[in-house]
Amino acid sequence: MISVSHYLAVGAILFCLGLIGFLSRRNLIVMFLSAELMLQGVAINFVAFSRHHGNLHGQVFTLFVIAVAACEAGIALALFLVLYRRKHSLDVSLWQGLREPGLPITGDPEPLPPEPEEPPLPHLAPAGAIPARGEPTHA
Amino acid sequence: MLSVPSLLVCIPLLPLVGAIFCAVFGGVKELRRWAHLPAALCAALSFVCVAFVVAKLTEDGAPIEFPVQDSTSGQDVDIQWFSVGHGQTTVSVPFELSADAIAGIMLLGITFIGFWIVVFSIGYMHGSPGFARYFSVVSLFLASMTLMVLANNFILMFAGWEGVGLCSYLLVGYWHHKPSAADAARKAFLVTRLGDVGLILGIFLMWALADQHSFNYAWIFNHTRVKFEYYSEVYTAACLLILCGAVGKSAQIPLYVWLPDAMEGPTPVSALIHAATMVTAGVYLLARCAPLFVLVPGVQVTIAIIGAATALLAAFIALTQHDLKRVLAYSTVSQIGFMFLAVGCGGAAAPVMAVTAGLFHLFTHAFFKAVLFLSAGSVMHGMHDVIDMRQFSGLKRVMPITRWTFLAGALALAGVPVFAGFWSKDMILETVLEAGHSDRFGSIYMVLFGVAAVTALMTAFYTFRAYFRTFEGELKMPEGAHPHEPWVMSVPLIVLALGAVGIGFVHATPLTHWFGNFISKAPELMQANGGRHVEDHANWGLMFGSAAIALLGVGAAYYMYRVKPGAAEKAASAAGNVYYLSLNKVYVDEIYNLLFVQPLNLLAGICKLFEAVVYDLVRLIASIPRYMAEVIRPLQNGLVQFYALTMAIGVAVFVGMLLFFHW
Repeated sequence: MISVSHYLAVGAILFCLGLIGFLSRRNLIVMFLSAELMLQGVAINFVAFSRHHGNLHGQVFTLFVIAVAACEAGIALALFLVLYRRKHSLDVSLWQGLREPGLPITGDPEPLPPEPEEPPLPHLAPAGAIPARGEPTHA
Repeated sequence: MLSVPSLLVCIPLLPLVGAIFCAVFGGVKELRRWAHLPAALCAALSFVCVAFVVAKLTEDGAPIEFPVQDSTSGQDVDIQWFSVGHGQTTVSVPFELSADAIAGIMLLGITFIGFWIVVFSIGYMHGSPGFARYFSVVSLFLASMTLMVLANNFILMFAGWEGVGLCSYLLVGYWHHKPSAADAARKAFLVTRLGDVGLILGIFLMWALADQHSFNYAWIFNHTRVKFEYYSEVYTAACLLILCGAVGKSAQIPLYVWLPDAMEGPTPVSALIHAATMVTAGVYLLARCAPLFVLVPGVQVTIAIIGAATALLAAFIALTQHDLKRVLAYSTVSQIGFMFLAVGCGGAAAPVMAVTAGLFHLFTHAFFKAVLFLSAGSVMHGMHDVIDMRQFSGLKRVMPITRWTFLAGALALAGVPVFAGFWSKDMILETVLEAGHSDRFGSIYMVLFGVAAVTALMTAFYTFRAYFRTFEGELKMPEGAHPHEPWVMSVPLIVLALGAVGIGFVHATPLTHWFGNFISKAPELMQANGGRHVEDHANWGLMFGSAAIALLGVGAAYYMYRVKPGAAEKAASAAGNVYYLSLNKVYVDEIYNLLFVQPLNLLAGICKLFEAVVYDLVRLIASIPRYMAEVIRPLQNGLVQFYALTMAIGVAVFVGMLLFFHW
């Protein structure tokens, strides 16, 4: 018989895995994935209790959590893109600007391996005739 | 057509509007060189309003009031200015204007001379930086001064009184980048402030005694007459405090020191504010409060003594000054001393006669001193801002108009017969002489009469000393001088010089009595006089005597500076220390410096030290949390994961406590 505590155990395991991942990994995207993992652990808790109590409150919460997580994913990925453009790296430890003034930057005991050089973006060959300047481009 | 009471409002309002327009013109680059137009126009319009008001006053003599009291409903129409407090201690001040004969005379002088001085300034200030600022403040000054004169209660009067003080400060410090001008402005402001404190205390003392707590002149004066018996000491104190205000504003001993320094301002300002109008405000105040002062003969004698002493001291200093403007400044102090002397005779002599004499001298003095200052300004304008009489002479060849106008003013100031100053000075002497025949204090007034006669002699001498040294003799000019007389400066000079020559005929006893008859219609004077009969007769002996004194003074100056060159130096060395005493202004500034300025500086130094100690103590206390914070500051290292870890540990600890310790 699978009781509610089994579900809760799965949720707790997922949450702990997410927490450990969030605290130990330095890649922004992996950290984000870990955070999502924690959310899913919580969601399983909700669903389990929903079934246990025989009502839909937990289910409703879960739906909300999924919807909010989707929005959050969009925003978080957009932020990562901006951060990446600044420093050309996803290493979270490069961002220490909010520390107390005067404190040294916390050093990196094991630096990340250098990122591979980005392949250049493909350029499309221009097609068709180049319109002459000053003339209307449409009939 | 505007009714006459509403014209009263226009008199101060027009210059105020002019001041605003001047300021706006100053802010727009294209209009900046036309900034004089609003000031001149508004001054002229204001004068026209005054002319209408004075014409109405001469017609029926009853004071014109604004707002008009509605006699049909019997309801008081009040325009409230402000009201503070409640119940018994409500300080309620209505905006009420009133023009009686005293105000009419003052307004005529202020707006007429004010307008011509504004015109003169157009030429004098041409091309000066802050052209618009100058005209804006001058216009504001005219507004404040007319408001002060027109006010029908003490607080509104005080508002105008402080307004003119402010404008005086701004204009004395017009060239504020010059340290001497900035110092002079500060000195003028602070010294007059000493008097103003006394004035406001006196006003509130009377306010506290008047039933229903009103500031209205007539109300307070009527109450004084009723209550004086019971509160005579308090009223004496109030009179002394008001006198204190008048002494400060009108530059009398012991507060006269600011006026000679105020000559740092532009010369038209000296003519307008520090000769013709503002400095005579104290005399106006004493005249206005005549019903109070007749009740306290002791204070009256004090006024007369202060006036005579100031007249003598200032004339003595003026004898040896080399700076043309300073001669005129001390002469102004001295002449206002004459006015105080005259007003101080009210009580011993008939109050109407005393006040008339004081105001008459105020009126003529405004004209001839304005023309003297403007002529000095014209000299200064031509001599490239040099005003030291040792550096120029014989200017009559290059500045003929200025020479004649200065001569007209000098003759009037010296009191040479038929010129304006002769009539008014003669009237003052006559008043003092009459006061000398009274029972109480008669002998004191006789001494003061002697002082006044000596002062008159000195006045004639120093005036013509200045004239001969500046305009007669060999032509000598300082480096860079460019003598010229543009019409915009000459016309006001000529107009005011004509005034200096002829204005005395408004009350030339025994020929005309218009001025005296007009002034005596003022209700306050009638009240002060209490029905005493005034005989306006010509005292021929006195007239010949004063004419002889004037001519003697002029003759002495002529002898010393024209006939026998070198006689002046000989006289100076013969006088020895007395000469240096006069040249160094009797060391009054030095004495004040030692007695008041230095102790205050010391006090300020102690305060500064105290402040430094307290400040450092506060800094010390404030630094304790700072140093304690150093311990935990490194926790804020900016690493997101470190924060997350801390949070996780914290949550774990709390959850653990809940689970295992059942908190």
